[in-house]
Amino acid sequence: MASRKIKLNSIALVGIIIIAVYVVGIVVSLFWLPCDPVAMDTEHVLEAPALSSGHLLGTDEFGRDILSRIMKGALVSLLISIAATAIGAVLGTLMGIWAGYKGGRWDHWLMRLADVLFSFPSLLLAIFVMSILGEKTVNVVIAIGLVYIPQFARISRGSVLTIKSNEFVRAAKSNGASSGFILFRHLLPNILVPLIVQISLSLSVAILLESSLSFLGLGVQPPAPSWGNMLSGARKVMVIAPWTAVYPGLAIVFLVLGFNLLGDGLRDILDPRMRNVG
Amino acid sequence: MSDEIILRVEGLMTQFSTDYGLVKAVDGVSFDLRRGETLGLVGESGCGKSVTNLSIMRLIQSPPGKTVAGKVLYQGRDLLQVSDEEVRVLRGKNISMIFQDPLTSLNPVLTVSLQIMEALQLHHGLKKKEAKAKAIEMLRLIGIPDPERRANDYPHQFSGGMRQRVMIAIALSCDPEILIADEPTTALDVTIQAQILELIKDLSARSSTSVIMITHDLGVVAGICDSVCVMYAGRVVERASVDDLFYDPKHPYTRGLLESIPRLDRAEEYGTVGGKRLYSIPGSPPSLIAMPPCCPFNSRCARAMDICRRAYPPETSLAGRSPRTVSCWLHAKEN
Repeated sequence: MASRKIKLNSIALVGIIIIAVYVVGIVVSLFWLPCDPVAMDTEHVLEAPALSSGHLLGTDEFGRDILSRIMKGALVSLLISIAATAIGAVLGTLMGIWAGYKGGRWDHWLMRLADVLFSFPSLLLAIFVMSILGEKTVNVVIAIGLVYIPQFARISRGSVLTIKSNEFVRAAKSNGASSGFILFRHLLPNILVPLIVQISLSLSVAILLESSLSFLGLGVQPPAPSWGNMLSGARKVMVIAPWTAVYPGLAIVFLVLGFNLLGDGLRDILDPRMRNVG
Repeated sequence: MSDEIILRVEGLMTQFSTDYGLVKAVDGVSFDLRRGETLGLVGESGCGKSVTNLSIMRLIQSPPGKTVAGKVLYQGRDLLQVSDEEVRVLRGKNISMIFQDPLTSLNPVLTVSLQIMEALQLHHGLKKKEAKAKAIEMLRLIGIPDPERRANDYPHQFSGGMRQRVMIAIALSCDPEILIADEPTTALDVTIQAQILELIKDLSARSSTSVIMITHDLGVVAGICDSVCVMYAGRVVERASVDDLFYDPKHPYTRGLLESIPRLDRAEEYGTVGGKRLYSIPGSPPSLIAMPPCCPFNSRCARAMDICRRAYPPETSLAGRSPRTVSCWLHAKEN
């Protein structure tokens, strides 16, 4: 029996540690927050970070505690990112493997559809979808998911094209396997590696997209906190109170960094061509 | 072997459209397969052996390939006319196939037992547990030691010969009536070849499975086949029982093939300095795109006559130990 243990490299490990810190923070935020993230306090507006005041990371222009808002916003950001990536990955992969396996007309039309979606810059496409659907948190998920569909479709189609010419696909057919059976039993497990890497990289980009949409006022609506709308609020006061922008910004930077490191690390671990090199 | 004809192929024609023109890969192939018979299909590379069988199974990729004419009669039905779903149900259950390269014919990410269970689950609706038990039984039958443990191994943990055994296990798991073996021993070394052929012979005899053995190795044909179809440029040029073919080849191409085999009893002839060289058929097969409307072998044939360059020879029945046919003007009867 071959060893099934996957040796984690240091890059992936750092990524996992960063993400774990966020997850712990989110779990804590479910039960306990330093302050009420939406309670305004006109007595303590734009207070600098200090332990003594009870506001570890300071307060914003309405006197709300920034640490509490970052913790509360983390859950929203991460949930949106995961849900959107899930939508994009499932629909995009289905579209891609079907197009790649069936070829011909299916391939032509499905991939042209993907090309149309792909031709828009992702943020522009997300803004476009949001302005059609309206500003609701669910719609952010749909908009980002839609951005991801063509990316997953292309990756899975490309992978299927290289796999499907293998003799084992024909062998499975000669055993009486149906198209669906071949797709899910034989092809999907063979293309999981590039998909897993793409998923982890997509999670990080989804965080950025969600923040961008919220920053533009299209995503999570105030007063509910999200990192994007915190930055948006900080725009006007960041010269006199830089902590209002710096901390939410760092929250975004580190989570994105975490997912990217994980993605890069996974690619190195899972791609046999990169393994045993150097 | 009984006289019951289990599969009848009539005038099968499969063509591929390419950028260079229409490739007539199979150009009117007919043969009968009887129950329990092992039929060899021989010919050089590109003569249409594999395409013939993929056409029977309806596994030709379309486009570019298309079976344009002919009939494949099985259980009173023409397999070329029935629906995709009907053919799918027959594949693996009634007609199954072994492929040439055992390295690529197994899915690298699934365990071997999962792949043997596949046909059983698809066709017999076995539960996972029953299918697994049957898969282990099949592994034992094909001579894999310690099958309970090896069942959970992945293909890369098996050697080439063992993987080909696994392919055989998959193909025979549903007790098919017809087994198509597409050069099953080409990728294996000689000792393993013998074992694999023996295994196919044993297992097919046990359940009186009919076998179509595609090969370019006449040694394989002599070893396990009952009768032989010799193919050239997409057509069957000679069909005979193994004994008739080896002792009394009629078609000049068949003669050429048999002449080209090095023989131990003539070793002195080629061994010495200045000795005879091993015979090879001069020239190469015609392009399947620009096929002449006459005998495609005429340019390589030592006994070509005028008529060979003008028209394709009709199929002529000749007397033999069992009925045999040949398509050659040398043997064409006056009519």
